[in-house]
Amino acid sequence: MNALLASSHYLHAVGNAPLPDLDAAIREACREPYRRVDRFIQLALLGAARCVGGRTLDRDCSLYLGSGVGPEGNNILVQEQICRDHLLPRPFNFVNTLGSAATYFVSKDRALEGQGWWTSRRGASLEACLELALNDLELGLCKQALVGIVEECPAPYEDHRQRVGAGPEQALAEGSHWLLLQAGFSDSAGSLELESLEPTQSLAELRALWQPGDSLAFGQSVEAGLRAQLQDGLGVRAFGEDLPFHDSLAAARATAWLQQKQKGRLHVVGGGPLGGIRVSVSAAT
Amino acid sequence: MPREVHIVGLGLSCALGRGLAACVQALREGRRNTVPVELGGFSEPVRMPYYALPGEGGDLFNTGRFLRLIPEAAAEALDQSGLAGGRRRGMAVFVGSTAFGVSRAEGEYLDVLASRPGAAFALPRVGFQEISERLRQAFGLEGADYAFNTACTASANALLAAGRMISLGRAEHALVLGLELANRTTIAGFSGLQLLSQELKPFDAARDGIVLGEGLGAVVLSAQDGGLGLRLGCGISNSDTFSVTTANPDGSSIAALQRMLLSRSGLAPGDIRAVKAHGTASPMNDSGEAAGLRQVFDPMPSLLALKPYLGHTLGACGAIDLALLGGCLRQGFMPATLGFSQDDPLLGLRPLTVETPARTGPYLLNYFGFGGNNTALLLEKTA
Repeated sequence: MNALLASSHYLHAVGNAPLPDLDAAIREACREPYRRVDRFIQLALLGAARCVGGRTLDRDCSLYLGSGVGPEGNNILVQEQICRDHLLPRPFNFVNTLGSAATYFVSKDRALEGQGWWTSRRGASLEACLELALNDLELGLCKQALVGIVEECPAPYEDHRQRVGAGPEQALAEGSHWLLLQAGFSDSAGSLELESLEPTQSLAELRALWQPGDSLAFGQSVEAGLRAQLQDGLGVRAFGEDLPFHDSLAAARATAWLQQKQKGRLHVVGGGPLGGIRVSVSAAT
Repeated sequence: MPREVHIVGLGLSCALGRGLAACVQALREGRRNTVPVELGGFSEPVRMPYYALPGEGGDLFNTGRFLRLIPEAAAEALDQSGLAGGRRRGMAVFVGSTAFGVSRAEGEYLDVLASRPGAAFALPRVGFQEISERLRQAFGLEGADYAFNTACTASANALLAAGRMISLGRAEHALVLGLELANRTTIAGFSGLQLLSQELKPFDAARDGIVLGEGLGAVVLSAQDGGLGLRLGCGISNSDTFSVTTANPDGSSIAALQRMLLSRSGLAPGDIRAVKAHGTASPMNDSGEAAGLRQVFDPMPSLLALKPYLGHTLGACGAIDLALLGGCLRQGFMPATLGFSQDDPLLGLRPLTVETPARTGPYLLNYFGFGGNNTALLLEKTA
């Protein structure tokens, strides 16, 4: 079990109005102003800074940034420049097409010298990042792990809807969701665990773990049948089903729940290809 | 107690050839297979030599290449591993690339731009999951998947993550694939960065930049020894925030990485048989790498640079370099560095210029990427 020291949650449902300008919030939260950063990097900087707050992290704290779709807006821009306009992309636009550009700026802002990884698993990037982070904590490669999930939602939204496979009725969102973990359990903090969950045994396994007051949430890769079976079997409604869509709903629901400072435990049934990961989060009491 | 991680399958398709044996043979013959590449339509011509897969015909930007080529090196590595049935089915998949499916997305965008411009939108698909989905389909894999996008360290980090998963007993076997295929974004982007050269000459006094390449490198890792005589040892990654495009030229972050790797693995500098340099041949990167190595190694172990044979295959170079070096070590030799002719007194080191017998022991492989991402790992020759 690992201590969950802090979290941050940003989720903005897109609509007819322009996306919020993040410049002022970044100036307030980050250690220095950054030029030539795109929306994806801004979301990463803001989420990481709000999660870490005034803490000074270990310099060898590892960073795990995940996303299902990555820096979409900048990749669109560069592809338009090259394929449609026959222009060479500006150097910073080209470099920012890489996910690791965002890990660079977060590492710089948080003064981190440890591992900085960018990882994706469609519909389950939080689960992928946590699997890697908890391995490294267990191996003693780091004592702290900063785990962030960032999903962009660039306009036009109908194009984005096609890219991410969202249904026509689903509200779309951009988000930045962060967890700060530390090796070992601490009474004064929350905690986080990852365990395999056999799809065919999920209900029995969750029943065995369930305590009064526990909450349940799903990642989007969990099948509708399993969702219904678990909710009916446990007699609870899943948390955060009304949140707008992006590619990492397990992350959005976990950090939204933490932001509400609910006590007890949240079981986030997310998924790899086997639908088999459970994230258990306890809020600090 | 962490478990040992064995390399039980290797596969390689690169400019040297299709299949690891063909690649090692071409390397021994000193081949440097580049083709001229040109992107039309720009106000200034975008022309460069490029290390392309042989036997692909003239059209490097064909949209169908991406899905067609994905299984190639993986099939070779999986065949060599002998893993089948349930052992293959449960394999986790770790993919590292910078461009992932950009070549396919560009092609589809261009097709619609030409036929129905009003309906065209850029980035019609996002490709992080396309490679693992294609591997699942081709080989019936059902394990968890991880896609790494840490620039030129991407598949090296995929190797680290897969090795740790096996080391902790969370996976028995894993397939790691590094993939980079020719695409307009990478070629135009690097052209704009003005980092390109006509000839790749790592650590040479006349080095003046990189030459891009494409390829696929596949590595099958296992908790069980498959008899190849190769193990994946310790691996370490760190962050350097000097610049988003280059490691600190004073070598400090690279030296720190080497020291961490040695400390973590319980080795002294003198235990390392050879260092496979990242060796991009860009003046600043080679200078920073040399400075970092000199701070840790005295005397320097043998130094190898593989990019003159392969081109810079970016996110794929982690798995490609390991596969090629593994193939050479299994045949008992360390390769000469092609194209090196003139010492740079400012670097204070020179790579091997003749093929040299390889002893058993640890070989250190370095990788550095945009975004300040540095990775080093050990490849152990055990027989």
